[in-house]
Amino acid sequence: MPEGIIVIGENLSYILGGLWVTVAVVGGALSMGLGLGLLLALGQVYGNRLLQRIVGVYVWFFRGIPLLVLLFIFYFGLLSALEIDLSPFTVSIVVLGLISSAYQSQIIRGAILSLPEGQFKAARSLGMSDTRAILFIILPQALRLSIPGWANEYTIIMKDSAVTYALGVTEILARSRHVAERTYQHFWIYILAGCIFLVLTYIGTKLLQRLEEKVRISGYAH
Amino acid sequence: MAEKVPVLSVQDVHKQFGDTPVLNGVSLDLFRGDIKVVIGPSGGGKSTLLHCINFLVKMDAGNIYLNDTRIDQSRKRELYAYRQKVGMIFQDFNLFDHLDALHNVMIGLVQVRKLPRSEARQRAEAELERVGLKDHMAKYPAELSGGQKQRVSIARALAMEPEVMLLDEPTSALDPELIGEVHEVIRAMAALGMTMLLVTHEIGFASTLAKEIYFMDGGRILEQGPPQKILFDAEQARTREFCSKIGRLNENSD
Repeated sequence: MPEGIIVIGENLSYILGGLWVTVAVVGGALSMGLGLGLLLALGQVYGNRLLQRIVGVYVWFFRGIPLLVLLFIFYFGLLSALEIDLSPFTVSIVVLGLISSAYQSQIIRGAILSLPEGQFKAARSLGMSDTRAILFIILPQALRLSIPGWANEYTIIMKDSAVTYALGVTEILARSRHVAERTYQHFWIYILAGCIFLVLTYIGTKLLQRLEEKVRISGYAH
Repeated sequence: MAEKVPVLSVQDVHKQFGDTPVLNGVSLDLFRGDIKVVIGPSGGGKSTLLHCINFLVKMDAGNIYLNDTRIDQSRKRELYAYRQKVGMIFQDFNLFDHLDALHNVMIGLVQVRKLPRSEARQRAEAELERVGLKDHMAKYPAELSGGQKQRVSIARALAMEPEVMLLDEPTSALDPELIGEVHEVIRAMAALGMTMLLVTHEIGFASTLAKEIYFMDGGRILEQGPPQKILFDAEQARTREFCSKIGRLNENSD
């Protein structure tokens, strides 16, 4: 048996220990991105011109800077300047969450804008307030339409989470690197890390596909 | 009888889209039980007028009165209450695509009129039964025919117990075979004494139903009167021209 396989066997549980860190970073970032992204999308679609401008700048900023640069800006720059003490783990969730919110806001915004104008009009004509129309008519449809976009966003954030190892977050890549440097089995260890990510992205997209089918409206051809 | 107060009074409504004037001072009154029909060429402002009456399009000037009370659209509560009392039927139905027929009718009852769900369900079922859709309540809009969709939308509006119904070309998106079933429902509403303002190109149908027809073109009501007069003995040349073409079209389709 190649020595690499033996090394994998010996270190698998250590590397898989990073799984929970990765899942927590990705889960935290995606949830934060969804909450914030939803507000940003609503602001951009229904807000006044100033709010639309602000959201535009926000999206431009967080989509325009590489993740690693943002991590360094926040962790080494902002936090020490403001003398705030946050763990690399927390900073990673926040930064990935901010970036994801920029992307998710555009997924949701696109979904809202793709709905026929008559949906809002009909809600208003029944005497519904704009808030209720958004909550009960617009969002249930727009969020359904956002699921394929989310599947994409999920895989991106999952892969991006590996970059947080640069701050010393002990996720899968950080642990793999640790083992590889100790055992010199770089090839096998990084293959293992790659496989773990493949499985994670596969599971996530499958789950979202299931969700998409589950909430599908019969006959709805969108 | 002494002077009555109109249920709905539209006064001097003006609307411009960009540089294009669409409504140039339109006024009309609807008394209880009135059925009035607006006809005229496309682009004449008919649909915009109905949208303005329901404040779905913001008018530039003009006033709307419901039972002699001026509606101030900047007061949200007042506006929402007004819209409940003025049902609106759209050309392309505008059913909520994510809700089945029953919930399309229920949602206004639950979210706007705040009825308990069980009561809302009963009412919605009754309304759908009234428009002949008892067996289609669990279907989603995409599973319904155009005529069925329009009947659901009528049930949805009626469930709010409106005092007036505005119908914006309710059958113009339907193929000829489906028009009849919607006309039947509108006729039934008329029989129950519903006050209606109907925009339509179905002149034949309109003339059997309406007390008065308005002919609209260029953002104005050019002429108004009983159907026989407008259709066959109009004073304005423009009205005569329009109605003669429509008459010929109707003959051809028979």
